[in-house]
Amino acid sequence: MFFSLIRQWVMSPIRHFRLFHQFVRQEFSGQFAGSLGGFLWLFVTPIVNISIYSFVFSVVFRAPMPENFGDVPFVVFLMIGYLPWFAFADAMGRASGLLLEKAPLITKVMFPVQLIPMVGTLVPYLVHGIAIFVFLLYLATQGYFDLMWFWLPVALGLQFLFTMGLVAILSAFCVFLRDIQQMVTLMLTAWFFLTPIIYPLSLLPEDLRPLMMLNPMHSFVQFYREIILLGDFSMPHFQVMVLASVISFLLGGWVFMRIKHAFGDVL
Amino acid sequence: MHSISVENVYKDFRIYDKPQDRLVELLLRKPRHRMFHVLQDISFSVLEGKSLGIIGDNGAGKSTLLKLLVGTLEPSGGHIDIRGQVAALLELGAGFHPEFSGRRNIHLNASLLGVPDDDIKALENDIIEFSELRDFIDRPVKTYSSGMYVRLAFSIATMVRPDVLVIDEALSVGDIAFQKKCVQRMNEFRAQNKTMVFCSHSMYHVQELCDTAIWLEQGKIREMGKSADVVAHYEDYSNSRRVYTKGEEQANSHQDEAPEAVKDCRILQTLVRNVDGELIEEVDPLQDFVMELQAEILNDDVICYFGFALMKDLEEVMSSYLAIDRPEVEHGPFKKGERITVQVRVQAMALRVGKFHVLSGVADESGLLWYDTRLSKEISINPGKGWGTLVMRSAWSMQRD
Repeated sequence: MFFSLIRQWVMSPIRHFRLFHQFVRQEFSGQFAGSLGGFLWLFVTPIVNISIYSFVFSVVFRAPMPENFGDVPFVVFLMIGYLPWFAFADAMGRASGLLLEKAPLITKVMFPVQLIPMVGTLVPYLVHGIAIFVFLLYLATQGYFDLMWFWLPVALGLQFLFTMGLVAILSAFCVFLRDIQQMVTLMLTAWFFLTPIIYPLSLLPEDLRPLMMLNPMHSFVQFYREIILLGDFSMPHFQVMVLASVISFLLGGWVFMRIKHAFGDVL
Repeated sequence: MHSISVENVYKDFRIYDKPQDRLVELLLRKPRHRMFHVLQDISFSVLEGKSLGIIGDNGAGKSTLLKLLVGTLEPSGGHIDIRGQVAALLELGAGFHPEFSGRRNIHLNASLLGVPDDDIKALENDIIEFSELRDFIDRPVKTYSSGMYVRLAFSIATMVRPDVLVIDEALSVGDIAFQKKCVQRMNEFRAQNKTMVFCSHSMYHVQELCDTAIWLEQGKIREMGKSADVVAHYEDYSNSRRVYTKGEEQANSHQDEAPEAVKDCRILQTLVRNVDGELIEEVDPLQDFVMELQAEILNDDVICYFGFALMKDLEEVMSSYLAIDRPEVEHGPFKKGERITVQVRVQAMALRVGKFHVLSGVADESGLLWYDTRLSKEISINPGKGWGTLVMRSAWSMQRD
């Protein structure tokens, strides 16, 4: 029972590839259809956010330059953490509405519903992937490029799986309990500030730092920074990332598959 | 061979006092609900190439049954077996994305139904042709009218050639010409030995398109059989517009002449009250009670004659009361917009057991053309002591010589 559900979950984008593909296309262009700036917002939002954070931290608070990363502009340091986080937060923020928006489809048409959280995660990652790619291109022209960068797609893939598991759980629970929508917003804000993204880990008190290993998003952010800025592959962070994403992806998939038959009754 | 077989299917909806209880129950498997039975003990089968109509009042469980067939709901008990690919038209364009063009939506919808890419390309033109939307197909579907919506949805669902087609009320939208096309298409479908399940309030369509029919009443099968028979019985039951006069014969002949009369008057409701004016649903034998109709006049200078009947089984008139020769009841002419209440007090209910309806009607001057008729709620009789169906006022006496 457990394994057959897991298998269905893992295999569904392959077994239903055509539908998956159609959904992704639909959602992807749906994001930009009907809004004038469309694609532009993709770049405007992170740029504005990063300007604000850079101003607050490097001008107002005069945060000390991150240790161990050499002579890096604070903005670059910030963006390496912020852009992947933004993809994560965007996917999570949409999760709660995914199934509710598709209610007419789910109750009226028989199709593999598990594709919805998958597509719902993939599309924000594709969209933000573009921004990340552009940013990396820029960094490469600034002389940061290193062969270790080829670990980045792997790490981003892991982060994607990690997100997908959480999105699956959130979207499914939200069918039964709509308050989750508000809870997610709060939780994301808290999580954002509890992860050393806009501040370096070195600002945290020494005895609190090991606790950060419990926060997989910290491992992701730290991993990206060490690869991009130092060309170092950090094994402990990588282990946390693999473990967290496998657990999240499988557990999230299992929970979703287990309760999806009840969606029709509630929606 | 059976294409659809449904065995002892039950569907309960669980009612939760708090929404989070449902989640807790799913995860911990601890019951926290009350049951509401939507469908009970439904069994039927449809042979390959046959079509089934489902009729019944609102809330009888028709849509739930269709969703179970399509698979978006799971039965609480029993077994459903369907052979082949199912395409459903449960709601107008359920899978449509409003921002996208009709053409994009054809592709999206067809892949939801599991059609391979190449086939969709081949079908695209046929679909556009059939839907008569050539000029609009590249516009976003949010600009479509509901008729255009259903045309596109119907075209896609039937064009992908599923083995089983499930349709809910789709034909009621769209103009007459398109409805005709749909009926034609569905008949072609039957000719190709495909199976169809069709739920509608249009008795005409059910009779035309379905071999067999099921009449659902409060989640149970009340009748199942040849569609013409089931439809006839259902219509008898539900048609409050039927004309009942002095005898059945006249009623029937009358119906053929003018099934839908030009309405100059409409009955709002038919009520039964006790002598104190309170609404009642039960009477005692030998009790006096009042039958009342409330009507609205829809035209100027209308002459109305009023009548009441006590109906047994909705078929048989037990007793009738007509106001034609009653000078105390005004016949008009009435003005447009006037509201009229007519009451008849009947004395000493002579039935001892059973149930009945009161039917009220409004007829024109000739007394032949009935503008409208309407049934009351079902009234039941509280049985008293004794035997037999009738009671009469009685006075005893005795002498001993």
